[in-house]
Amino acid sequence: MTKRIRSAAALLALGGIAAATLVGCSSDNSSGSTDGKVTIQIGDRPSADRPEDQKYFDERVAAFEEANPNIDLDPVETGYDATTFQALAAGGSLPDVMSVPLTEPQGLIKRGQAADITEALKSEGIYDSLNPTVRKLTEDSSGNVYAIPTNAYSFGLVYNRDLFTKAGLDPDNPPKTWDEVREAAKAIKAATGAAGFSVLSTNNTGGWQFTGITYSYGGTVENEDGSKATFDDTPSKDALKTIQEMRWQDGTLPENALYDVQSQAQDFAAGKIGMVIGASDYYYTAVQNLKLPAESFGIGGMPQNDGTNGTLSGGTVQIVNPNATDAEKDAAVKWVDFFYLERYLDQDTAVSDAKASNEAGSVTGLPGLPVVNSDEYDQYFDWIKDYINVPTSNFTPYREASTDIPVIPEPVNNAQEVYGALDTVVQTVLTDQNADVSGLLSQAQTDVQSRLGR
Amino acid sequence: MSEQARLSRSAVRPANRASGLTRRWRRARPGLVALGIALPAILVYLYFSWGPIVSSLIMSWQNPVPGGTAEWVGWDNFVYVLTDPGLPQAALNTVYYTVLAVLFGFPVPLALAVFISELKKRAWYFSGLAYLPVVVPPVVAILLWKFFYEPSDDGVFNSILGLVGIGPLPWLNSTAMAMPSIVLETTWAGAGSAVIIYIAALTSVPSELYEAAELDGAGIWKRVWHVTLPQMRGIIGTMLLLQVIGTMQIFTEPFLFTGGGPQNATKTLLMSVYDYAFIRVDYGAATALSVLLAVVLAFFSVAYLLLTRRWSRS
Repeated sequence: MTKRIRSAAALLALGGIAAATLVGCSSDNSSGSTDGKVTIQIGDRPSADRPEDQKYFDERVAAFEEANPNIDLDPVETGYDATTFQALAAGGSLPDVMSVPLTEPQGLIKRGQAADITEALKSEGIYDSLNPTVRKLTEDSSGNVYAIPTNAYSFGLVYNRDLFTKAGLDPDNPPKTWDEVREAAKAIKAATGAAGFSVLSTNNTGGWQFTGITYSYGGTVENEDGSKATFDDTPSKDALKTIQEMRWQDGTLPENALYDVQSQAQDFAAGKIGMVIGASDYYYTAVQNLKLPAESFGIGGMPQNDGTNGTLSGGTVQIVNPNATDAEKDAAVKWVDFFYLERYLDQDTAVSDAKASNEAGSVTGLPGLPVVNSDEYDQYFDWIKDYINVPTSNFTPYREASTDIPVIPEPVNNAQEVYGALDTVVQTVLTDQNADVSGLLSQAQTDVQSRLGR
Repeated sequence: MSEQARLSRSAVRPANRASGLTRRWRRARPGLVALGIALPAILVYLYFSWGPIVSSLIMSWQNPVPGGTAEWVGWDNFVYVLTDPGLPQAALNTVYYTVLAVLFGFPVPLALAVFISELKKRAWYFSGLAYLPVVVPPVVAILLWKFFYEPSDDGVFNSILGLVGIGPLPWLNSTAMAMPSIVLETTWAGAGSAVIIYIAALTSVPSELYEAAELDGAGIWKRVWHVTLPQMRGIIGTMLLLQVIGTMQIFTEPFLFTGGGPQNATKTLLMSVYDYAFIRVDYGAATALSVLLAVVLAFFSVAYLLLTRRWSRS
């Protein structure tokens, strides 16, 4: 008898949970305005394993609410994750404002998953201060803006200064050409036994980095409107041949040919790899998370072949939930301006912001690619110089190169499709000594071309 | 029939009917109560278990826009996935994995179970040992094995093999070895559950059969061949079917070990589904490929049912 009661109770409880779940699914989590007060949900609150960053974030939220008494913020830890983003969007559970990679806005615009925030940007007076080349990537064909760029990167050469010193190389003067990279890699291998250089190769990151290397050889992977794959040409072949020769002739690449960002960063931080391709935010991964000593972190410009060709760039943008009301859009744009952009335009904000970040123990003053005009960006670093806790001189070669090397955005159409095909190409030259470079690229191009129309 | 009899019958009949009704009502009432109690569970089951199946079936004929309205595209998605240049390789890899997993992964637990049940002492200890890998969460196990499989000569496995003068082997870094390396890990990880099931099945084999066989002078191999295996035919068949259905849906291991590489040598059908859905945000193609895979698996199940029916008849 008790058993029957217990199982009945269990069933009822299960039903209850299901009902609650169903209700939970259909409820809207962005509450509208009541008596002129707006509540918006903001994503990207740092999780508890980064207590310094979380503390700093929470302080900024409190400061924003104090400055804007009619806006309430509801911070959540939801951040961008390719595997969950679409489910959140389909279920209507996206925060009102959150960050996504710069590759996403065009797809989001096409699928109606981001709000048009042109009016809000203009009324907040931010529209004109955004770096126009970066802003362009967030616009639709008629010039309406759907996202706010808040962080940008371009590829450079991340290197271990400690290994450079041990190999007798000058850590303040990293390689600028691919030939120099090969020489440095050989020196590192000979002196320390560590792999001189390494490229990513799995989860589409191989194709992403190979695209960057192709750019630095003067090539492209897609034509401008994204209708044609264009990597079956001399620059791509030369780029691929360089990787193949470094692996098999020079012997300066690691034996592991299957790297994703995390596993490569682990080996880099452990001093098993001398140089990798990355942007300045690699500092977070290598130094903050994996405890590479900050003074060992070095970054230079993207190595080039024959002159200055270009470097792949990307970044982060903030999008607003497409279901947001006008008042919510305004509030969201205000928050983005307050948290990400105002520091570049206002000295007091810059200083108090950097001070708070520094005191919270968070990485402060990390150089990157400007999302605002470059004069404003330089001025910002001058304002906050007392609070910078990053060895900025280690970033000098990168910053100097970024003024010379043109930045080229990622492929506009089906970038992931292209990257996936190029992953295979990179893996092949890393695992097969006799791989036919030209045959590989033309086969991959044929495969990609047949998929681009979809 | 006399008037008396007819009266008595008519008097009896309504009474009979009444008692029949109450009896039926009494019999039915617990059923309704049970149904009432089970109803939430049934609804939950229908919604969460069959709901996704039905909607993915529908979605495979659509071009679904997340959160928006979907347009009907007919067989487009099926044509698209069937003409994907990567499909033949993914299908072959999946079949290759299944064949390897059945060849190696299937006999190992059976042999282990027979071995353990032959041990008179400490069988519990060995079955515990065999089951242990199942307790390790798959992701942890895979990361651990990835570390073991380090291709340089100071990797864990390569150091051990180096002691006997073999290697270093490239393990996951070679197109030829990557899939067998994954099968090795999945066999290690999955054998425990199968061993427990086989041991349970072995206890139901009548011990008289063994005694009779022993009296006839049968050694351990003959006993296994003539008594154990025929007696366990049903469970072995079921496990084989489950193994095929399970291994055809392999995803976690290649995803975490190799990301489908090198050169797509470990890319499976389910990884293609994942790529369509989450990398390319093409749910139409993803569901179309899933439906195709489900059809193939359903075919296996039906074939199995027909086969076992024939076996039980013969």
